Amino acid sequence: VIPVTFEYVRPDTVEEALEALSDPDAKVLAGGHSLVPLMKLRIARPSRLVDISGLDLRGVDGDPGELRIGALTTYDDLLRLDSEALPAALRECAASVGDVQVRNAGTVGGGIAHGDPASDLAAGVLALDGRLQLRSPAGTRECDAESFFLGPFTTAIEQQELLTAVLVRRHEPGEGSAYVSIDDPASGFPLAGAAVRVRIEDGKVEECRVGLTGIGAHPLRAQVVEEALSDGDGPAVREAVAQLEPAHADERAEYGRQLTVIAITRAAEIASQRATAGGPG
Amino acid sequence: MTTTRTALELDSAVGVPLPRLDATAKVTGKASYAGDRALPGLLHGRPVLSPYAHARILGIDAGEALQIAGVHAVLTAADLPIRDGSGRAGEPLARSEVVFAGQPVALVVAETESAAEDAAEAVVVDYEPLPAVVDAEQALEPGSPPARIDEGSDESDVAMHGDAGGEGQEAESASTNVLSRHEFSEGDVETVLAECAAVVQGRFRTSWVHQTYLEPQVAVAWPEADGRLVVRSSTQGIFYTRQLLARVLGLPLPSVRVEAATLGGGFGGKIGLIDPLVAAAALAIGRPVRIALTRSEDFAAGNPAPGFVIDLRVGARADGTLAALDGKVVIDSGAFSEMSPAPLAAGRLGGPYRFEAWRAQAYGVRTNRFGAGAYRGPTAPQTAFALETLLDELADELGIDRVELRLHNTPDQGDLRLDGSRWPLIGLRETLEAVREHPLWLGRSELPPNEGVGLAVGLFPGGKMGAAATCRMDADGGFTVVTGYVDMTGTETGIAAIAAATLGVPFDQVRVAAGDTDAAPQSGVSGGSMVTYSLGPAVVAAAADAREQVIRIVSEELEIDPSDLELADGAVRPVGSPQRGVSLADLGARLTGFGSKHPPVEGHGTALNPEIAPSAAASLAHVRVDPDTGRVEVLALVAAQDVGRAINPALCRGQMWGGAAQAIGFALHESLVHDEDGQLLTSSFLNYSVPTSEAVPPIETIIVEVPSPHGPLGARGIGESAIVPGAAAIANAVAAVTGHRFRELPIRPEQVWQAIREATGGDAEQ
Repeated sequence: VIPVTFEYVRPDTVEEALEALSDPDAKVLAGGHSLVPLMKLRIARPSRLVDISGLDLRGVDGDPGELRIGALTTYDDLLRLDSEALPAALRECAASVGDVQVRNAGTVGGGIAHGDPASDLAAGVLALDGRLQLRSPAGTRECDAESFFLGPFTTAIEQQELLTAVLVRRHEPGEGSAYVSIDDPASGFPLAGAAVRVRIEDGKVEECRVGLTGIGAHPLRAQVVEEALSDGDGPAVREAVAQLEPAHADERAEYGRQLTVIAITRAAEIASQRATAGGPG
Repeated sequence: MTTTRTALELDSAVGVPLPRLDATAKVTGKASYAGDRALPGLLHGRPVLSPYAHARILGIDAGEALQIAGVHAVLTAADLPIRDGSGRAGEPLARSEVVFAGQPVALVVAETESAAEDAAEAVVVDYEPLPAVVDAEQALEPGSPPARIDEGSDESDVAMHGDAGGEGQEAESASTNVLSRHEFSEGDVETVLAECAAVVQGRFRTSWVHQTYLEPQVAVAWPEADGRLVVRSSTQGIFYTRQLLARVLGLPLPSVRVEAATLGGGFGGKIGLIDPLVAAAALAIGRPVRIALTRSEDFAAGNPAPGFVIDLRVGARADGTLAALDGKVVIDSGAFSEMSPAPLAAGRLGGPYRFEAWRAQAYGVRTNRFGAGAYRGPTAPQTAFALETLLDELADELGIDRVELRLHNTPDQGDLRLDGSRWPLIGLRETLEAVREHPLWLGRSELPPNEGVGLAVGLFPGGKMGAAATCRMDADGGFTVVTGYVDMTGTETGIAAIAAATLGVPFDQVRVAAGDTDAAPQSGVSGGSMVTYSLGPAVVAAAADAREQVIRIVSEELEIDPSDLELADGAVRPVGSPQRGVSLADLGARLTGFGSKHPPVEGHGTALNPEIAPSAAASLAHVRVDPDTGRVEVLALVAAQDVGRAINPALCRGQMWGGAAQAIGFALHESLVHDEDGQLLTSSFLNYSVPTSEAVPPIETIIVEVPSPHGPLGARGIGESAIVPGAAAIANAVAAVTGHRFRELPIRPEQVWQAIREATGGDAEQ
């Protein structure tokens, strides 16, 4: 509970924030619910905290096909949106994060940028073809969620770069999504979390996306699982999961695979029901 | 069960769910804890903890640490004014040999906590790693490496619990790691077992479990100008702590003053753990020193409940009579064992039942893990898990109803306990009958799939201790009860109710003050379920004494015989003519002023109960098992407990709720895990699972009242029994669902999933 001494700055603009991030040991502070616990344990030792809470990056907008979530939007902000406005998988990811206090202060951008291998939200962003909007002194770029998560607490964000928004697709007619996680009873983080999005036409899976979290070095899109689900074959999911690299190589791997299969199967079932039932998926 | 209430208690504060006196301050964050008060010249200590479970300290280099601004000193064992170095209290910093990972080896003292922490990181300790002994059963083997080389077995190791009985026989094992062995026996166990219609047996394991008090260990100590040492501590016992510090530091008893602060939870874990280090540092430096452990440090350097391996065999006759018990417990007492509950375990193996013949053995073994400590009902939840599992199996084997089997073996007053003492009056039968008729139990075979109900009983015998209290009348006509017991679980609220009922005044006219070791009546440790039970009778005596003094004074003033006076509505008045009464407010003002014609009113009371008053507890657990994940969800708990007399039913229910919640922790969550080198793998709440509010279902409480002949107004000590049966009930419920008997706590989802998969031939995959 006693962090290393650090410098604290609170810029008013994105440009000032990027300037403050020129220090290679600087870290961005948003809601603080990922970074601060690590600082208290002295696992994270930033020399400077760049508090971006003063920047205008909070709120949700977008166009009919896509949702644009400002990086400083809290999990609670998401949960307060109309159910029409938010794909079900993303709502369920947000609801699965921490507790009320964490969801009130923790931010979507902070959670994604932290790169936790067991991030709930990352699974939903992956299943919803998410893209991350990044600002640097050189300008703005977008990065697909699939190529954003690189390893444990490692993402494609460069040092002097700021995640400004998360973009996810909205559901089309015939689409449904769901997120199911089986959480570690101590930390509350998923031991296995699966976000599944399906589009069903005439009773047939036309498109399927699966984002997995908690099961490996980083959240990932699992195409082998998508193919298995598209085939509508139960045992195939188990075979597909067996091809994924497990979080633990020891005797825990088998149980970990079981939880992954169960999370995928349950999420797929709910997503399919939602896709078939119509209405907000 | 109805109890007769005397006229004195009518309309009194007893039997009423009054709010706790400390509730508002605690829930609004205004309570003052030991670490909260600022002191002039206060320095902050931060410990350097050993990363090795077993190592020799070759050297400690504090050069760099001392360069950090604000750092006052880096203390090592040689710098501390320790006179009696025995046991953990005598070695607050490791001398030459580290015996567990997390053991403090140095203490940085600095102007700020952050400077001290920076410096603690900069202290360089040169270790020579030694083989770590982590497995208690291996430690027992003759060829095991010693968990401690420099000193063998330590005579003071069993000081806290004393020799709880049993022959101090020569240990059959040659291992120097065996610290204690206790055995109770009666009759010829093998012969009786051979006669039994059914014999069941099993090997059970339970985990190290942390007390997880909300407030980690904290204390402040300072030397006074006259050389006396003062310690303000989050402790369960101020007099115990004073004696401990005087012994360890070689000080005359009067040179140490200990004051309690609001206790942020203890559960047995705050009995002199951190005080020796804080006190020694303050004396070494000559300034006030505060040490507040972080949560991770408290996990690493605490004194949690130890792990158990229990081999138990139980035999019964065809009619269900429990005939013989053969049990052996191996307790991992860790690196320091003076607080180990090992001496209590043998006596607990038989639970609350009557047997004909038995052999009950308990070994305390030294390993390189923490030092074992007391945790609510020490050894009782663990042994109840083993016994109550086997009793279910025995009932099934004999074709006898599970409740009937237990009822059939309920001891009568005067029956022998395993330790050779006699059972006092207990309410086990009434408690069992309370759950037997519960709809959850009656409907247990008509549940949805994957759900089941389990039942278990248990008790902790509780302690007794001589106690003293005073009860004075204040200038406003109210009364103050002074004790030296630390308020735990709302004991002061209960004490106030007992005093109010005895005095015949409203509850809000009684205050309770916990004095320090200079001023308070001699008092014991708040533990052993004995504060209300042992202190209560002293408070009754003190309040009765004060009341008598008040009546006598008014009797003299009004020239009316005391027997014609009553104390009611805030006044002492002649029976039949209340208008002639003397108000307590008026009397209080006059007695405390100049020119008073009477001495002040101060009642004194001492008491020593002749025997213990165990509180029997029973639990029903309703669980649902997810066959795909092995997860166990507790859907409902029913807790029934004989409290003797519910002085404050809200506080009784609070104890039962808290005990049941901690029992869920024992059953399904909590386990301090070390790797094979003795490294703690569960050093924070990120990986040490406790039952949070989401994991604790509604808990129904059933208060049973079988009055104790000795407790205040019939009350029994209830705190510890509340935790005892819950884990066993949950294990029995999981067995009801899965058909598999789990013999290890906590029950892990992986194991449940595996067991279901094996039972269904691998078909549980979808």
